[in-house]
Amino acid sequence: MTETNLIVEGFKFMGLGMGTVFLFLIVMIGSMNIMSTIIHKFFPEPQAADTNPSATAQKDNKKVVAAITAAITHHRQG
Amino acid sequence: MKNIVIKFLALFMLLSMTSLFANEHMATSVEKADATHKEETYKSKSFSAMISGFLASTGVVALINPGDELNAKGEPMSTFHKGLGRVIMILVTFFLFWLAIARGFEPLLLLPIAFGGLLANIPVAGIAGAHGFLGVIYQMGLSNEMFPIIIFMGVGAMTDFGPLLSNPKTALLGGAAQFGIFGTLVGAVALSQAGLVDFTLQQASAISIIGGADGPTSIFIATKLAPELLGAIAVASYSYMAMVPIIQPPIMKALTTDAERKIKMTTLRHVSRLEKLIFPIMVLSLSILVLPESTPLIGAFMFGNFLKESGVVERLNDTLQNALINITTIFLGLGVGSKLAADQFLVPETMFIMVLGIIAFSVGTAAGVLMAKFMNLFPGHKINPLIGSAGVSAVPMAARVSNKVGMEYDRTNMLLMHAMGPNVAGVIGSAVAAGVLISLFK
Repeated sequence: MTETNLIVEGFKFMGLGMGTVFLFLIVMIGSMNIMSTIIHKFFPEPQAADTNPSATAQKDNKKVVAAITAAITHHRQG
Repeated sequence: MKNIVIKFLALFMLLSMTSLFANEHMATSVEKADATHKEETYKSKSFSAMISGFLASTGVVALINPGDELNAKGEPMSTFHKGLGRVIMILVTFFLFWLAIARGFEPLLLLPIAFGGLLANIPVAGIAGAHGFLGVIYQMGLSNEMFPIIIFMGVGAMTDFGPLLSNPKTALLGGAAQFGIFGTLVGAVALSQAGLVDFTLQQASAISIIGGADGPTSIFIATKLAPELLGAIAVASYSYMAMVPIIQPPIMKALTTDAERKIKMTTLRHVSRLEKLIFPIMVLSLSILVLPESTPLIGAFMFGNFLKESGVVERLNDTLQNALINITTIFLGLGVGSKLAADQFLVPETMFIMVLGIIAFSVGTAAGVLMAKFMNLFPGHKINPLIGSAGVSAVPMAARVSNKVGMEYDRTNMLLMHAMGPNVAGVIGSAVAAGVLISLFK
């Protein structure tokens, strides 16, 4: 009697297992979407703040490079 | 001043001398005790008797004419498993060396496993036994599922959920690939139904998890549900993961049309740091609510990822990604190798596990690809079905395979980052599937 049940058991496992996996992932996708909308709506600053300092840093770097080259040329001429 | 120093030195020498004498005294008394102890057990033998006794204890004799050795569990073994079986297993480990070194098949794990297997098959020494060092390693971290969990922490610290967060629906592909697990479960019970082999439902479940293509998860489940099959399951799991670039492409090509393979996916949006930081906590909370049984795996995974994304514990993150995972890999490999002892590996079940494992892998790959095609029936951004195969975990190998096959048809089509989404979702999916299996046998 247990022998005849074994494959049926396997299919039961499959139904429950795949069901749970998909349920979990669908809930996960849903919460990911909700999370990203909330974050983009209420906390968009960090991203903008992230890009700005690096840009200013680059500008600063350029200024420094320009100053150094100017000093070198001045030194060579002098 | 000088005098005081000299006096001090003299005093010091005197003290050390006395302590030396005391030590010597102690040593002699211990030696005496030893000698009396030995006298009880050691009997004088003639030199020829000593030589013949020594010859009888060599490996050659032990392999040709084995004595009554017990296996790691303390049960008697058959003559085949004590003699020829060991020689065969040692040759098998040589073959694994070749695979790892010459063919580059997951050498990081295959080498420790194979060497552990070599050590476990040495006669007389009993290295894999309860008091041998492999047996101790096994007890230390495998029988209590510690090592797979630590590996999961490291993998979490290496994982970037960015691609998944920017295209969440690809997570479904990682779910579909878990069909390989449950499809194989049915296959395994069908085999034992047909009377070919005698797998219990627990054993069938442990075998089918190979289809999750996730080494630590396979080991975790195998030690929980069917420790007697651990060696075969681990070897099958890791060797098939290494063969992903060979197994997957034919299946992917057979199930897709030329036009589908050339689908270009929209570029991924930028994911903010806050999203990446919240994601691990979110998934863990979900698994707490839905399936607490899966939280050992998912919890460890998300712990590693959280440390990484927090950005404030760079040292811990670095240790998880490198030192800790490397150390654990060595011990995990050796511990798994101890299960390659002839009496546990050279059984008919192993062959079925190997066959079922590759079926599990192929079914998982196919299910992922078909799921992508199914999702393309709905409106929205089209998905290249080639990334569906990355739903079997095997991070990052499966994603690389998707990328490579995609490039074969359109050299400008970069699928790698798109495939990483289903790839990491596959890790979560197989951890959930593992949790389901464990909860069913509670």
